[in-house]
Amino acid sequence: MKNIILKNRYTLLVTVLTVYIVVLVIEGFITGRQAQVLDFENPFFDLNIKDLEGLRERRA
Amino acid sequence: MNKFHLLQFHALLQREILEHRNMFIMAPAILAGLILLFSVWAMTRMGQDTVSISIEYMALLFDGLSPLEMAPMFMIPAIPFIGIFYFCAIIYLMNSLYQDRQELSILFWQSMPVSNLNTVLSKLVTIGMVAPLFYIATMFALYVIALFWLAILGWSYDIEVAGLGYMFLAAVVSLIFVYLSIVTTALWLLPTIGWVVLFSAFAKRTPILWAIGVFILVGFLEEFIFGTQFLGNFVQSRSTPTQYLILDFQDVVERLINYDMLFGIMVGSILLAGAVYMRRFID
Repeated sequence: MKNIILKNRYTLLVTVLTVYIVVLVIEGFITGRQAQVLDFENPFFDLNIKDLEGLRERRA
Repeated sequence: MNKFHLLQFHALLQREILEHRNMFIMAPAILAGLILLFSVWAMTRMGQDTVSISIEYMALLFDGLSPLEMAPMFMIPAIPFIGIFYFCAIIYLMNSLYQDRQELSILFWQSMPVSNLNTVLSKLVTIGMVAPLFYIATMFALYVIALFWLAILGWSYDIEVAGLGYMFLAAVVSLIFVYLSIVTTALWLLPTIGWVVLFSAFAKRTPILWAIGVFILVGFLEEFIFGTQFLGNFVQSRSTPTQYLILDFQDVVERLINYDMLFGIMVGSILLAGAVYMRRFID
């Protein structure tokens, strides 16, 4: 296993990033960290990428 | 850790400071010089009455007040220094493990009895604890010069300047807050530092593009694989300056010992461990 991870710089990078993101996701699920998408609030307009349907309806 | 290891680590820190003295010594010195020059220019533009009234007002404002309570006010003049420090810190971290591979001086350093772990740690301690000291020392020198200048002007205008002493004490206490804030920032942003250092150790060229590009890619992959945005949210949740600014000594424990800080240190350590192992691969 160690030999595979340390085979070259790319395998090491992928392993580190995988561990990093898995830890973040697990912690996010356990603590209930609210997953937010780009939600840009300002006095002029509302932008929420996840609510594209709502945006379409408001524009119509 | 025995005496040899301590001396070795001290030598590594000295090396970092010597190699980057432009960022850690010259940059704050030039900024302080510019601020001083601008202040002299501004004073000469003001009338004599305005200057004397301003000095009298400052002396009266701070006279008898607790330096601890007034110290946060002096965080404002520190902003340019903090801004320059962060800018230099990003450049330093980005090049920290990249430059010696480019110059091939890594071959020399790896022939020395210095582990990769110590090398990476020395860079972290340099940017988190040692380099800020030079900025603080420069600010202190600037405050001392400003105090003497104001005092001499005050005496020449026959103004009571005792309050300036309280002002100076508040400025000095604020320097402690600035230093603690920078150290706290380094720990709070350890995941970001780890990310930058990892790509500094990884990239064959343009580490900054690798760091930004892979961050965006990993964010998309997380959304695609897990259907979550915890990476983006994690970064967002750690980007408010009020989370690591220290304006009171009571804030120190609260800022340093909490779940988010410890989790950030753990996650940052994963990336830093990756950077340490990445040092094995020399181009």
